[in-house]
Amino acid sequence: MSTAASLPMNPPIDDARNFDKGKVGLISLILTEVSLFSIFVTAYIFYIGKSASGPQPVDVLTVPVWATICLLSSSLTAELAVRAVRQDARSRFLAFLGATILLGAEFMRQTAVEWNKLINTDHLTIATNVFGTTYYSLVGLHATHVVVGLILLLVAFLAALSGANVGKHEHRLHLLSWYWHFVDVIWIVVFTVVYVVGR
Amino acid sequence: MATEKQNAELTVDLPAPTVWPMVLALGVTLVFVGLMTNVIVTLAGVVIFLLAAVGWWRQVLPHEHHETVAMDGNTGPLALPAAIPVVHLRVGKQSSQIRTAPMDRPWAAGVRGAAVGAVAMAGVALFFGLVIRGSIWYPINLLAAAAIPSLATASIEQLKEFNATGLILGTIIHVCTSLLVGVLYAVMLPMFPRKAFWWAGVSAPILWSGLIASTMTLINPALSARVDWRWFVASQLAFGLTGGYVIARTQKIESRQNWPLAVRAGLEAPGVERPGEGDGTPGA
Amino acid sequence: MASISHPLDEGHGHSAARQKASFWSTFVDQWIITVDHKHLGLMYIIVALLFFVAAGIQGGLIRMQLMYPNNTFLSPQVFNEMFTMHGTTMVFFVGMPFIAGLANYLIPLMIGARDMAFPRLNALGFWITTLGGILLYSSYFAWTGSAAGTGGAPDVGWFAYAPLTEKAFSPGSSTDFWILSVMLSSIGSTVTAINILATALCMRTKGMTLSRMPLLVWMFCVVSFQILVALPPLTAAQIMLLLDRFMGAHFFDTNAVGDAVLWRHFFWLFGHPEVYILIIPGFACVTEIIPVFARKPIFGRAAMIGASVSIGLISLGVWAHHMYTVGLPSRANIFFSVATMLVGVPTGIKIFNWIATMWGGRIRFRTPMLWCIAFLFHFLLAGLTGIMLAVAPFDWQLGNSYFVVAHFHYTLIGGLLCTLFAGVAYWFPKATGRMLSEKLGKWHFWLMIIGFHVTFDGLHIAGLLGMPRRIYTYPAGRGWEGFNYFSTWGVAIQAVAILIFVWNVLDALIQGKKAGNDPWDAWTLEWATTSPPPEYNFAVLPEVHSSRPLWDLKHPEDPDWKYEQS
Repeated sequence: MSTAASLPMNPPIDDARNFDKGKVGLISLILTEVSLFSIFVTAYIFYIGKSASGPQPVDVLTVPVWATICLLSSSLTAELAVRAVRQDARSRFLAFLGATILLGAEFMRQTAVEWNKLINTDHLTIATNVFGTTYYSLVGLHATHVVVGLILLLVAFLAALSGANVGKHEHRLHLLSWYWHFVDVIWIVVFTVVYVVGR
Repeated sequence: MATEKQNAELTVDLPAPTVWPMVLALGVTLVFVGLMTNVIVTLAGVVIFLLAAVGWWRQVLPHEHHETVAMDGNTGPLALPAAIPVVHLRVGKQSSQIRTAPMDRPWAAGVRGAAVGAVAMAGVALFFGLVIRGSIWYPINLLAAAAIPSLATASIEQLKEFNATGLILGTIIHVCTSLLVGVLYAVMLPMFPRKAFWWAGVSAPILWSGLIASTMTLINPALSARVDWRWFVASQLAFGLTGGYVIARTQKIESRQNWPLAVRAGLEAPGVERPGEGDGTPGA
Repeated sequence: MASISHPLDEGHGHSAARQKASFWSTFVDQWIITVDHKHLGLMYIIVALLFFVAAGIQGGLIRMQLMYPNNTFLSPQVFNEMFTMHGTTMVFFVGMPFIAGLANYLIPLMIGARDMAFPRLNALGFWITTLGGILLYSSYFAWTGSAAGTGGAPDVGWFAYAPLTEKAFSPGSSTDFWILSVMLSSIGSTVTAINILATALCMRTKGMTLSRMPLLVWMFCVVSFQILVALPPLTAAQIMLLLDRFMGAHFFDTNAVGDAVLWRHFFWLFGHPEVYILIIPGFACVTEIIPVFARKPIFGRAAMIGASVSIGLISLGVWAHHMYTVGLPSRANIFFSVATMLVGVPTGIKIFNWIATMWGGRIRFRTPMLWCIAFLFHFLLAGLTGIMLAVAPFDWQLGNSYFVVAHFHYTLIGGLLCTLFAGVAYWFPKATGRMLSEKLGKWHFWLMIIGFHVTFDGLHIAGLLGMPRRIYTYPAGRGWEGFNYFSTWGVAIQAVAILIFVWNVLDALIQGKKAGNDPWDAWTLEWATTSPPPEYNFAVLPEVHSSRPLWDLKHPEDPDWKYEQS
């Protein structure tokens, strides 16, 4: 062993470039969700035009313009809500968050109306043909994600209404907005596959 | 390492044990079980799931629950000097992570060896042509037949005649292969256990002659059908002996094979020690 | 997260320091409702070992049935249940929990953290996996119920090919048990994968850059990525199958233009990466153990990382080599053959790196190292038979034969199990503070190796002679008898080896030699704390200057960071 004096000094430590665990966790979740959706999308594309009997997409599907506008603009309001939190503008935050929830709920209402029409008027269920099978499973999977997002947004909204310090949870709200954007992007894919390519 | 003052009074906050993840898992499982048995089980699962979700929520928000644990204060990074012999890391020295020859031959040696070997080999081959078939063009055309279909099907008489394309292509094939093998020799010679003469001059040519003999029907059927393998091996040996001799005679230079990239690129960086500056004891 | 504070600082929501508690409440705190990564890790491993015994017994019963031609020890139905449960359990409830346990236990210690990034999620992952396993085994008791019919355990193979798993062909609830329990296990694995990535990327101690992060952690990151990308195809296909079975959907229903091959694509899109998900943690253990016992730094650290990452990526594009016998277009056959052989390149790089690490080292042949060396031999052979099977025409001949069975048991027993035993032998002192007996360990090792070879070597030849998989019995006079007979005896030898292992563990726990902090004179951070580590892992979080932080501490006169660029 050398004497203490001749020991090399430790070099200055460079801070381990650690990432934010919330972001990494959420991105991982989104990665696995993307993989899940891609299988359902694959199944949908695989079965396009293969239904031998029953209603065909072109006969029963109408392009959901209004629902799409609602969902996509809810992404904008979600972003504005997060910015409001950063600027500590509480009432603005509540307004934008409320708008996001309303727009999301309107999207779900539109979906419900569409499904109601498909089931009761066009007699298309998940068991009718492979179009019904793939349509309800893909759109339903997306709708499930919208509902989960809505529940989380609603909890945030109620917590904020009951006087929670939103500034303290800025980071969590930020992540929640990411999830909401992800749900939106998935809708663009679903929309393209179901209503543009598949029709 | 850690210079922080060690204090027996220190405590640390760790996440408190919580039952809710387990209950949540139970809820999900019951939902699934209900699918196979009875809706009531699914409903119970949903209720348990919601209870657990709320419980978990309250565990994390507004504050994460912690339990405070007292630390002994003497469990910082501990390490005793190694008792068992080990190999040290060394920049640019052998046996740090890899064993390579500390000295190496330059690429140029390979090229020189290739040149000499190529001439010797060609000499033997031409001699073979002259003695056996009475024409120095014969072996050249045979070699070129790998690339020229008309030569591959030519008769022996045609092969004995001068063929300009055959000469050019044959020369190109010969030069390229010689260069490749020469450079390969320069790289490989230091790896051979001593007796480079034996390896480079005799063993390797015989080995690759065997390899060529077994694959020649695929590469060059014309040559395969007409070559005299004794002469073929003789020309390979000529290459190995002369080329190997030239390469083996070349002055060795210091190998930079396991210098780190930064050093080879000539960078000055903290922690980069130029080889030869540290103490020179190779580990193992 | 965990931060150092004085007791007086407590301002908000902290419970007071733990009071003296009764044995039971401590037990419940530490082993039931715990969120401590070390306890969860050990719980994972214990659960995996319990399921290992169950699945091992099933494997033994399969072999007993096949010991003689025309044997009637098991009925065809029970035989089907046996190989289904054996495969499903070994993959989802032995392999996956075991690697989750290793990851949980080791990663925070190796990167100098106090816990995983999401400790509660970690507990969720453990319990949901365990409950999934319990659900799978409860199928044995589910003879009655609303879906009475053919009850009992799943009998559709671990791959559960649709449309054979559709309601029409698999009535009753046994297939639902398979779907739902595996789905639970997938949720658990996904949660664990997210946690591993977040931990490795976000919880590293000061100075632990990614380039200094231990290779084990790197490889677990690759595994986590694979889990995140490759498990959802299975989950998605299972959701589709559930929709088919419960709601009359037609995903795999061939009566309503549903496709008969679609499930196989989805399943193997998961299934092939899954085998890498299982084996890369084995690589990870070997990569940590070999340098310590060869007394040399790992050879080709960067190449190792690169090879792991490329295995992780390439493995996503090779699934259809399980489907040559389906009759794919010839372009697909060529693509998947080439892609499969491509995996051999990074794997070969790794094998060379391990050998180069040992080359010129002062190798200590302790039990962990013996397992690693055995792994190298077995995995090389398994890889070679794998390359053989990657060739489509060869696979047309031998697909679904015992050659395939022998091949993947070589990878999973000869490869993975050997590395897991290496890992147990290596980290047992850290986890318990006691040394395992070298003598018993060597008995365990040699008996296991001999038993393994007796069991599986001959099966290659039985497969070459045409013996198909999943047959419950076979006629005499085809030249298969001898191989099957000895194979069954091999299982008995392995069983003895496992008993010695259990004895060794129990004996060490009761009266093992005290291990001390660093019994192997190793270089990664987990050996810098006490054995077993305290709840908080490190009283003072260490600072790291190189990829071998403990080396730097032990050799202050010649630290690694002088030679490492990062």
